[in-house]
Amino acid sequence: MSQRSTFAHRSCLCLSRGVLLLLASLLLTAAGCRTRRGETIVVGSKNFTEQIVLAELFAQQIEAHSALHVERRVNLGGTLLCHQALVSGKIDLYPEYTGTAFTAILKESPRLGQTAADTFRVVREEYPDRFDVEVLPPLGFNNTFAIVVRGDDAARLHLRKVSDIAAYTPKWRAGFGYEFMERPDGYRGWMAAYGLHFLGAPRILDLGLLYRALADRQVDIVAGNATDGLIAALGMVTLEDDRHYFPPYEAVPLVRRATLDKHPETGVALKELAGKISEEEMRRMNYAVDGEHRDPTEVVRAFREAKGL
Amino acid sequence: MNWYDFLLRNRGEVLERTAEHIGLVAAAMAIALAIGLPLGIALVRRVTLQRWVLAVANVVQTIPSLALFGFLIPVPWIGGVGASTAIVALALYALLPILRNTCTGITGVDAAVIESARGMGMTPQQVLWQVELPLAAPVLLAGIRVATVISVGITTIAAAIGAGGLGVFIFRGVAMVNNQVILAGAIPAALLAVLADFGLGVVQRRLATR
Amino acid sequence: MAQPIAGIQKGCALECRGVTYRLPSGTALVSDLNLTVARGETLVLLGRSGSGKTTTLKLFNRLLEPSDGEIFIAGRPSSAWDPIQLRRGIGYVIQDAGLFPHWSVERNVALVPQLEHWPEERIRARVKEMLELVGLPPAEFATRRPSELSGGQRQRVGVARALAADQPILLMDEPFGALDPVTRAELQREFRVLASRLEKTIVFVTHDVREALFLGTRIALLAGGRLAGVHAREEFLNATEPEVRAFVASLQLSRGDEEVR
Repeated sequence: MSQRSTFAHRSCLCLSRGVLLLLASLLLTAAGCRTRRGETIVVGSKNFTEQIVLAELFAQQIEAHSALHVERRVNLGGTLLCHQALVSGKIDLYPEYTGTAFTAILKESPRLGQTAADTFRVVREEYPDRFDVEVLPPLGFNNTFAIVVRGDDAARLHLRKVSDIAAYTPKWRAGFGYEFMERPDGYRGWMAAYGLHFLGAPRILDLGLLYRALADRQVDIVAGNATDGLIAALGMVTLEDDRHYFPPYEAVPLVRRATLDKHPETGVALKELAGKISEEEMRRMNYAVDGEHRDPTEVVRAFREAKGL
Repeated sequence: MNWYDFLLRNRGEVLERTAEHIGLVAAAMAIALAIGLPLGIALVRRVTLQRWVLAVANVVQTIPSLALFGFLIPVPWIGGVGASTAIVALALYALLPILRNTCTGITGVDAAVIESARGMGMTPQQVLWQVELPLAAPVLLAGIRVATVISVGITTIAAAIGAGGLGVFIFRGVAMVNNQVILAGAIPAALLAVLADFGLGVVQRRLATR
Repeated sequence: MAQPIAGIQKGCALECRGVTYRLPSGTALVSDLNLTVARGETLVLLGRSGSGKTTTLKLFNRLLEPSDGEIFIAGRPSSAWDPIQLRRGIGYVIQDAGLFPHWSVERNVALVPQLEHWPEERIRARVKEMLELVGLPPAEFATRRPSELSGGQRQRVGVARALAADQPILLMDEPFGALDPVTRAELQREFRVLASRLEKTIVFVTHDVREALFLGTRIALLAGGRLAGVHAREEFLNATEPEVRAFVASLQLSRGDEEVR
């Protein structure tokens, strides 16, 4: 008897711990809540390869131009987590995209044909006032949504632009991420802009699983990101956004103003990266990590050497 | 807008997602039980094999769910995109606590009781069903309870493979950068977990004091 | 009422012929054992811990199978019996009784009759009879759980369970070993009366030489898995084997103590 009640007791303990853990993780409070140290600067990133590469690039750049100790806190979930971590001071900077900041954070609706410069200007003006965060100059590439199909389909059906696919989509199954489905500049408007219909409702998948589902013919078209290294690696084709539906998504460093005031050399170091990365270069770095399984630290070091940074 | 305003305004979808969530957990638990209980019973007296199987189940538990989904997409029949993949992954996660508690529960039954059961002329089947399983029941149930609560929690990840459930709100909220939407999924999921824990706890206590 | 189970006749005999039991590792727990238990007698297997007493007992109801030699039950080799049927014809009582903690006293006692599909009415009457036989008023004890009994009461239930189907053979493995001295003496007295009245063939394992002398019609002394000597109760104290002498000496050493272990 006593043995059994100990069992029950023990399982109770670990259960309530499990429930707590669940609550904690679901409420997204575990976003990295460690206290900060004096001369340390914390670089954050979202949870995909390009963000991890960019965070590493920022970190190496700051290390090269200052005596600061740089802590990398990468893989912080999505935009929301990074933004909250930045505003609350858990991290000092992270890479963001102007279009994402514009729509997801500032909750603005893009006009059709809005230019990259327009978007950047709004973001650069709003962030300091609302969040005490500075938006540094763009890094050079535009990581917009990419509408991707399998290479064999593209070749067989002569697909090059998004407007080429309308005739086929009624027989296609689409796979989109939650972000594409929910964003004001995403699914709904895109379907309307191109007048598309798909076979059934789109399968809604995590971004990381989209390409696998496409390659495995579970879906026939996905929306990814323009600089995803896997697109080329898996022999897939990005269709041109010929109606210019997607707003620009230029990568920019977002840095807390307090951090820039305290360590001005950080700003100097990061501004040196302005316009230094082309879409092709970003895609190659992403693929080096995703496709060739190289260490992001290595990939970034090689890039900085090649660029003479 | 408060999260409960959001809940109220969207109660139709919240209820639908909750039902989906419960369905996913129930299906996964049914599979995990159908495999875990007989396998656990079969492994009780095969100590070496038991150690290997538990080690494998342990490893499975450490595979991140997205990676597991990735592995499962190309698998015919059980894989693909949608509920089946999610259920298979969830069942795999639920397997370890059920297997482990089945083994430890039965192993923990007083050896003298088993010996007298055999010595009095009970068949192995009778020993299993009338002695070992009833006496191991509280421990078995503890395992089922742990597995259920874990499943309710990780079923939120099923939304990553298009299987629905309350995780849809969480993923959607993360994508929309909207806390209210996240909470509309997280809070019902947490409530479900607490309810499952409480309900099975009552059953378990009743078995233990019987 | 008394009915032979599975063809084992009342008062049948047991016999070991050249029986050896080895572990898979090769260690012999019992070596070349030759022993007969006559019908209706109480044979005590006496020996120190690890002498092979319990192993020998388990060979009789086929919880263990001999590596060499053969055991005869009622004249038939044990390997010729269906083990399940054989065990239902042999009462088995172990230390701490081995009662099922999730069953009531009543259900525990009814175990073998139920396995043998006796009619409900007959089982109920038999359980009542058995509980009265071992001194537990059914009205008070039938519905209790084993956890609600004292050690002595549990042991009484164990005996009632072993007798419930009127098994002609009774195997008892230190049944009173875990009891306090007063309760033990009480149960030993009652059991001796019971044994002489019921005419069962009983094999009783103990390491307590006093218990052996009190209950056994004959005493078989085991040492290191071998039979050191078999003696009638009256002859045991005068036997000449050194192993027997050692046991007798221990009895004399502790004489005057309240308890003999």
